[in-house]
Amino acid sequence: MKSEVLQWNKLMLNVIQTACWCLLLALFATPSFARQQSTVTGQVTATDGAPLTGVSVQLRGSGAGTVTDENGRYSLQVGSGAVLVFSYVGFSTQEVAVGNQSTINVQLDADLAALDEVVVVGYGTQRRTELTGSVATISPTEFEEQPVTRVDQVLQGRATGVQVTNASGAPGSDARIRIRGANSVLGDNNPLYVVDGFVGVDFNTINPNDIESIQILKDAASTAIYGSRGANGVVIVTTKKGTRSGFNVTYSAQGSRSYIINKWDVLNAGEFAEIVNVRSNDMGISPIFSDQEVANFRQNGGTDWQDLVFRPAWGQQHQVTISGGGERTTYMVSGNYLNNDGIINNSGFKRYMFRSNINSNLNDDLTIRINASGSRTENNNTNLQSGTGNPVVQALSWAPTTPAYDENGNMIQADPVGSVMVSPVALMYDRANLNQGNFVNLVGGLNYRLPVEGLTLDLQYGVNFLNRQTQSYNGPVVSRNNPSASRSSSEDWTLQGTASLSYRRVFNEAHSLDAVAVFESQQLTNNNFSSTGNGLKFPSLEYYNLQLANSFNVGTGFTKWTLLSYLGRVNYAFRDKYLLSLAIRHDGSSKFGPGNKYSTFPTVGVGYNLSEEEFIRNLNVFHSLKLRGSWGKTGSQAISPYATLSTYNTNAPVAFDNSGIVSGIMLGNPGNPLLRWETTEQVDVGLEASFFAGRLSVEADYFRKHTTDLLLNQSLPAYVGGGSLTKNVGEVENRGFEVALRGVIVDNNQWNWTSNFNISMVKNEVKSLGGIAPRIGQGTGVGAGMSTTNEFMLIPGYSLGSYWGLKYLGTWKPGQEAEAAVYNAKPGDSRYEDISGDQAITTDDFQIIGRGIPSTTAGWNNTVSYKSFTLNVFFQGVFGIDKLNYTRAAAMSGSGDARQYILSEIKDRYIPGVNETSDIPAFSATNVVYTQSSRFIEDGSYIRLKNLSLSYKLPTINKLGISVFVSGTNLFTITDYTGIDPESSNIGSGTDTAQGIDYGAYPNSRTYTAGVNLSF
Amino acid sequence: MKRNDIMKRNLIWAFGAAVMLVAGCKNYLDEDIRGGLLGAQALQSQQGLEAALTGAYKGWANTWGYGFIHATAVAATMGGDDITTHKASNKADFREFDQFAVPATNQRTQALYNGCYKAIQGANNILANYQNTQGDQATIDAIVGEAYFIRAVSYYWLVRLYKDIPLIQQAEFSEDLLTIGRSGPEEVYNLIVSDLTAAEQLVPNTKRNPGRPNKGTVKAYLADVYLTMAGWPLKQTDKYALAAAKAKEVIDNKDLYGFRLVDTYAELYENDPEKNGTAETVFQISTFMGVGSTQNANYGFSAMPGEEGGWDDFFAELNFFYDFPEGPRKDATFRTTFIRGDGSTISWEDSQTEHPYYYKYYQKNEVKNHASQIPESMMRYAHVLTIYAEAQARATGTPDDLAYECINAIRRRAELDPLEGLSGAAFADAVVQERAWEFAAERTRWFDLVRLEMVAEANANKHPNDLQPIGEMTEKNYVFPLPFSETSANPNL
Repeated sequence: MKSEVLQWNKLMLNVIQTACWCLLLALFATPSFARQQSTVTGQVTATDGAPLTGVSVQLRGSGAGTVTDENGRYSLQVGSGAVLVFSYVGFSTQEVAVGNQSTINVQLDADLAALDEVVVVGYGTQRRTELTGSVATISPTEFEEQPVTRVDQVLQGRATGVQVTNASGAPGSDARIRIRGANSVLGDNNPLYVVDGFVGVDFNTINPNDIESIQILKDAASTAIYGSRGANGVVIVTTKKGTRSGFNVTYSAQGSRSYIINKWDVLNAGEFAEIVNVRSNDMGISPIFSDQEVANFRQNGGTDWQDLVFRPAWGQQHQVTISGGGERTTYMVSGNYLNNDGIINNSGFKRYMFRSNINSNLNDDLTIRINASGSRTENNNTNLQSGTGNPVVQALSWAPTTPAYDENGNMIQADPVGSVMVSPVALMYDRANLNQGNFVNLVGGLNYRLPVEGLTLDLQYGVNFLNRQTQSYNGPVVSRNNPSASRSSSEDWTLQGTASLSYRRVFNEAHSLDAVAVFESQQLTNNNFSSTGNGLKFPSLEYYNLQLANSFNVGTGFTKWTLLSYLGRVNYAFRDKYLLSLAIRHDGSSKFGPGNKYSTFPTVGVGYNLSEEEFIRNLNVFHSLKLRGSWGKTGSQAISPYATLSTYNTNAPVAFDNSGIVSGIMLGNPGNPLLRWETTEQVDVGLEASFFAGRLSVEADYFRKHTTDLLLNQSLPAYVGGGSLTKNVGEVENRGFEVALRGVIVDNNQWNWTSNFNISMVKNEVKSLGGIAPRIGQGTGVGAGMSTTNEFMLIPGYSLGSYWGLKYLGTWKPGQEAEAAVYNAKPGDSRYEDISGDQAITTDDFQIIGRGIPSTTAGWNNTVSYKSFTLNVFFQGVFGIDKLNYTRAAAMSGSGDARQYILSEIKDRYIPGVNETSDIPAFSATNVVYTQSSRFIEDGSYIRLKNLSLSYKLPTINKLGISVFVSGTNLFTITDYTGIDPESSNIGSGTDTAQGIDYGAYPNSRTYTAGVNLSF
Repeated sequence: MKRNDIMKRNLIWAFGAAVMLVAGCKNYLDEDIRGGLLGAQALQSQQGLEAALTGAYKGWANTWGYGFIHATAVAATMGGDDITTHKASNKADFREFDQFAVPATNQRTQALYNGCYKAIQGANNILANYQNTQGDQATIDAIVGEAYFIRAVSYYWLVRLYKDIPLIQQAEFSEDLLTIGRSGPEEVYNLIVSDLTAAEQLVPNTKRNPGRPNKGTVKAYLADVYLTMAGWPLKQTDKYALAAAKAKEVIDNKDLYGFRLVDTYAELYENDPEKNGTAETVFQISTFMGVGSTQNANYGFSAMPGEEGGWDDFFAELNFFYDFPEGPRKDATFRTTFIRGDGSTISWEDSQTEHPYYYKYYQKNEVKNHASQIPESMMRYAHVLTIYAEAQARATGTPDDLAYECINAIRRRAELDPLEGLSGAAFADAVVQERAWEFAAERTRWFDLVRLEMVAEANANKHPNDLQPIGEMTEKNYVFPLPFSETSANPNL
């Protein structure tokens, strides 16, 4: 069976390869036709006669074309028999046969349903009306004049099926973006970003100001064309191009001020000292503070650690865009500078970005393009070390009775009462963690209209270079007099070549055919090195002079993978009524062993534009009505290079005396030569309808994604060396429903109110663990020292990210003495559910106590304009998510690294004879606090006023356009969550099996921004 | 026009060819693993074999991960009457040992268990592949000898902590290993003896580094193994004679191996990070401050009271402290007054935990840190002397002069009166008691109580202000359940 598949793969490969070569040969061997050339000029206007700027004027069946200037004028060289296609966002597309005309003026009708909008899909474009897949589009108008600095802010709440969580509120840090849920346990669930045809771009390197359009491909009909990388959905970004005439300069500047959303309610020094003494007394140990000390703290107060950690922070952004062009060449050059301080002291983010897009028509058939972009990002201390090395955690662990500095101004090194760890002040100022990203992306391509009508060859080569540098330093206080510093550099070098042949033609004005065949290769090479100096002789030199250290660690590494792909797609439409789309991608990857290298990802999509039917039109209800459905398979690269091989772990330093270390090697995880792609099969059914001349539109989709061959790690027992064995054994399902409503509620001369609402529901379920274990724990390391075992558990029937812990039943109450005694407890002590019934609380009593991934996300975006004023009100909400509030648990368990109770909540504890109804346990030697219990699981749902902005456009004077805006971000939040911010958590953006823990996570901030845009 | 066409065509050709070239490249999808190290061939050079040996030692010394250089073994031997832990705070893992209620999920035994098996895996890999190694034969012999030693000592810890355990002698993973059952202690001890006997032949007389064994180390461990085999659970009392004989080989050649009793007990616990242990060290795990995973976290905060910034992980049991004979050894062993952050002092009776602490685990100059590069002593020469004394007395029923000399050398250093004129049994019991004091908190007392089945007796009269045992004390409490990770991965265990 296997060899048959192999044979088939080989055969297919050969056939496609040969076909590609033949096509190329045939094409280039054909002599060019001499074409009759003439120039067509004209003006494009709206129905009210106003000129439309930036309308795309294209020759049908070719990439050649232009856009209109600020007067709506265009000029284009055309051959005989040419058909011009005029398209513009928000207007119906028009096609005009040139014939003998030399002047063609066109009036475009506003199309509120945007049916004829051209949508960028994988390896091509399509009219929205012809789509069989589920594709959401975000145009820049939806986020214009809002303080958007990154792509995740653009995606959040503005498209169905897309969940965006700003897991860390630090400026410049990662966001978790999911399209239709999470499929993978071991792999990254982030969508694939494609920028101007380059596949696999880091979304942090995209400047939202450069975006012309964003398309989000969700179902298999649209993502299967990306094959082994399509399972998480695809975000296609197209950047702006210059206009063929004129010279435009825009400059925008923004300044912002950010504040902490709210603070924890903590005990003041007097209360704290008193409560610590009460507790000591209750626990049978000596009091810590004398009565005099308590009185002093009551009178003079102590340290407010939160005030020392958080601050209001400034931010600014500047963007300059210069665009224009001549007869044949257009250009768009932009630069962006961003500098945001973080609301935690000594943290911030800087970014410099540059882009240059140049398009040139060498002649009527041949267009070349060069898109170059580069950026540098500097994250300064935004990546807080997790766990107890986090200033926010320590601000809630250090006793308010302990000062931050001694009388000489030196940082206090140890807290005698509260935390056992380093002070929050030292964690901010006595260490550094700088991450710098240097990024260059160059994409060059040529588009050649072949001498066969409708046939176009496109060749593109792209180079992506990403260098990440880190510099870190741990000073004498943080390191307890063993200062160390390190530097590291990691370089990703990606090369991509794409050759595509596309054919687009309408036969007999009824059969529209659009086909594309692509060959693509990609390779990524990573080279990295790091060096650490320990025992710095001159700590003040930090990482600038590592050689002056007592000892060193160095490391280097190398990985490489390659991907070879053959793909093709055929779209067929009959009179815009019946739509069919077929696509297939055949991917080969170096990551797999011989025999498993190739996989095939097919898809079928069908659509039915009912509104083209007479009987529907006669109803006079629908402006448009479409039904569509698709099925297909995509893959996920949830596997790292070399996973099929058993390699040594080369990081095993051992000391044989006190002068240094010797490097050793240890056997690593055993490799599994049989590994394959994870495969996601997706079914999608969608309905699109619009009413009232398109003023109200609805789009609804139901989908079911079933992922098989899910990679899971089978834990190996320690007696075989521990670690794990990766196998393709599991199954995960995501199914859901998403609805988008768009309405132009008011539209008259002065007023316009457009409202977009979207809601997406997704239910995630682990279907099978392949029998390798009844359940698989997923640790995070976040709560090191607090968690009893893994905080998350994969169990069939439950979703990814399910919390594992004890069910907290409140405190034992008076009258339950006998029952409590069974558990060595007494009234006032914590009571947990004993599901095993063995009369003891053990790991057998752990159960699923919550779900860390949201079930529903929604966004409601309103734009109201009156004359030159525009008001944007944007709400965003997340529902059905639980959070494990470790921040609260640490500050409320009085044990572990924190030692004392810090939160005011403790005043409401159970006090025998005084307050016997409280479920906050009493001070008792027999009380056992499990941080991993439902006591610290909280509902993390929220609704947030994400943006409120008002802009005003001044009258244009001498071509100088000025607009100004003010806005507020995260102005208010409705939530039951007790932490600072329900949105932030500690887990990196790639994983979904373990998320939702808040252990001093960097909170999102409330930000006020003012800005000005100038255009010449 | 024509020219232009040709140019254009050439341009496309060139570009197309460049893209397609990649496809033509046959090996495009081969894995490029430069930088990775694979399989048995890595061990074909002497350097490779040495690196694998270093990796095997890592199992014993991975700070906060696994092994002996954080409070794991100290916790696992807390059932002894010499140490206890904090009553309230986050020390549940420690308390479970002190109160004889250790569940399969206890993370402290897991750290020891995982580390020992990681070391065994490394040793197995060397023992399976060294025959193909090219290099200096003497060095290869030393490497192989150390590998046998690592495997033996790891299994020795495991068999004492868990009794019935999976016995693995192959390095390569195979799925069959996931269904094996447990091996009994006899089988395990046989492998330990056979490995130590092999190591005895191969390990050189001089330690290659302070953190490695020499021939004397191997013999001392073999003596210790025999002593344990003579007690519970095997009760092969004929092993007392073997223990005595092996210990005597070490004593007779102590100069050759470089072992001696240092002059004072205080010197022994100077805990100077600049020194590589003392001449009394038979075996130690060396540590190094410069790398996180090689730091020793047993000395410092772990052993210090909260008043001094410490973590209160372990400290002395009250009756043990009261009964401890006065003298310089007691002074060097315990810390009884604490210096608080503001400089004031407080006696242990007034401290939060109301217990004296182990000064022998303080860093030199009372440095406040959780980490150091003080070597972790695993066996001292004094230990060898007591093995001889006890084993000789138990084997023959009559302590000989050397036995008296062995024990009295230790007592003299502690400024105690010498033992004399005791019966064999009384002498042996006195040696066991001496070991409790001499090796207080040195992970010795617990194993003595187990092999001599004295656990219940020694824990019968705990001070009321100490943690009390939970439930009845039986043989079941002598060993711990296998970690949950093991029984869940292999239900046959």
